[in-house]
Amino acid sequence: MQDHERLCMTAAELTPQEGARCALRAGLPLADDRLAPVTATANHIQSVLGVLRELDFRQTPPAPVYQAGGPAGAAL
Amino acid sequence: MQPYELTLAGAAAAIRAGELSPVELTASVLGRIGAVEDRLGAYVTLAADSARRSAVRAEREIAAGRHRGPLHGIPFGLKDLIDAAGLPTTASSRVGSPHPPATDSAVAARLSAAGAVLLGKTHTHEFGYGLTTPQTRNARDHARIAGGSSGGSAVAVAAGAATFALGTDTGGSIRVPAALNGVVGLKPTYGLLPLHGVTSLSWSLDHVGPLTRTVEDAALVLTALVGRQGPPGSPGTASTTAPTGRSASPAAHGADLPPPESADLTGLRIGVPRQHYFERVDPGVETSVRAAIGQLHACGAELMDIDIPMARYLQATHWGLMVPEATAAHEQTLRSVPELYGEDVRVLLEAGALVPAGDYLRAQRSRALMREAWTELFQQVDVVAAPSVPMAAVRAEQQTVQWPDGTAETVSDAYVRLCAPANITGIPALSLPVAPDGTGLPAGLQLMGRPFDEATLLRVGRAYETASGSVGGPVPVAA
Repeated sequence: MQDHERLCMTAAELTPQEGARCALRAGLPLADDRLAPVTATANHIQSVLGVLRELDFRQTPPAPVYQAGGPAGAAL
Repeated sequence: MQPYELTLAGAAAAIRAGELSPVELTASVLGRIGAVEDRLGAYVTLAADSARRSAVRAEREIAAGRHRGPLHGIPFGLKDLIDAAGLPTTASSRVGSPHPPATDSAVAARLSAAGAVLLGKTHTHEFGYGLTTPQTRNARDHARIAGGSSGGSAVAVAAGAATFALGTDTGGSIRVPAALNGVVGLKPTYGLLPLHGVTSLSWSLDHVGPLTRTVEDAALVLTALVGRQGPPGSPGTASTTAPTGRSASPAAHGADLPPPESADLTGLRIGVPRQHYFERVDPGVETSVRAAIGQLHACGAELMDIDIPMARYLQATHWGLMVPEATAAHEQTLRSVPELYGEDVRVLLEAGALVPAGDYLRAQRSRALMREAWTELFQQVDVVAAPSVPMAAVRAEQQTVQWPDGTAETVSDAYVRLCAPANITGIPALSLPVAPDGTGLPAGLQLMGRPFDEATLLRVGRAYETASGSVGGPVPVAA
């Protein structure tokens, strides 16, 4: 795994250049004038999402959509 | 009183009694649109000619004895994320498809089957990704935001430029503009109403629902939307049973709900949050909402202090779901025509490409934990009552909110904060206008309930309307 690939998967702040490489890897090439605002926004989003790492999920599986009352009462 | 001033229930009763024709009602609402639209900017596309034709058809059917029900001949607006055959779905964006859809969305088809008259498409914050709807002005104060993203729908209903409207809600987009314009907004249980033909913002958080001037009207629209037969296996199908053990037949959700003869809420347990919902809330809004909750107590409801589970993780969970899903929904056009998006939406969509899959999965697992915790909460109480919004409509140029505790947040973050829990958990949530907070601007009382228990929310909402003497007329629109 390359360094920038590891960076794309961590909570570390991205520089605009790192953000460009991560975006490219995600399939979204960004023009130079987009790097600063997109990376700043991405870093802000990451700062909000980081709190989820505190949670102890144990064996809880992901809930791809909300299912009222669990699978027995599953909505579409 | 002019026909455009009538509530849906009032207009339906007048039509049923032969005192008002759908043609007169539609002409009156179109006239109102003509008088106020320049100042409000509620509509993207008006379909006046087809509305008149629909009204004529409704009038003939009713005259021939083929009355379809309370929505027959009632004019409505449709948020421009929701397909209607023959009208372009612009999403209030330059990216929106210029080609009109050939077919109605599922909800538009159900309203059409009920005989409702489509007036046109109402403005949304671009693709529903924002809480202000900058094209539209607040019905009560044109210098203030409409709220969003269903801003056009809320303003049209508030101003009498639609008798009812549909909106969508991914993080408050029905309830926020409803609260800021003083109308009723209902976000039903996730999955109750079909999203086929509705432009997605976030698949796992999106809902469609009504904006009306009264709770009774919301019940009438919801019933038409649920339909007599829900999709196979869905909660709207009469053979299914809701998780609470209650019948989940369509009758449980709306019009078959008998109007309460009194505002008696004896035996109902209402949870009042100790935290989250009353933190960083404008004192005037808190006063109004607590007074409204006090009225519910005076109607016989028992008030219980409750703690909101996992409040610390609400914003992260909401963002962790919504941001990557929105980017995925826009993946193709974000590559091909990024310059056509508004800057505020474009940067969010682009940044969403940098959210790792691990964060998305953590948000999904957090949602699972929240679902369990809220299920336990609703074993203690029947309804949770709280503000819909932390502050009334801000002025259009305001970008951030400063709170007395020294924190600051964007206007959009503030408006999402109290609504997002019902999107994450999927529970139904009803926003009711409450007394002005001292500025002359309305706020919202938010009632949340068990999954598929819309009937209880509507009953409590009607009790509040009865107790508070709310009449549901349109607001005067200043020149």
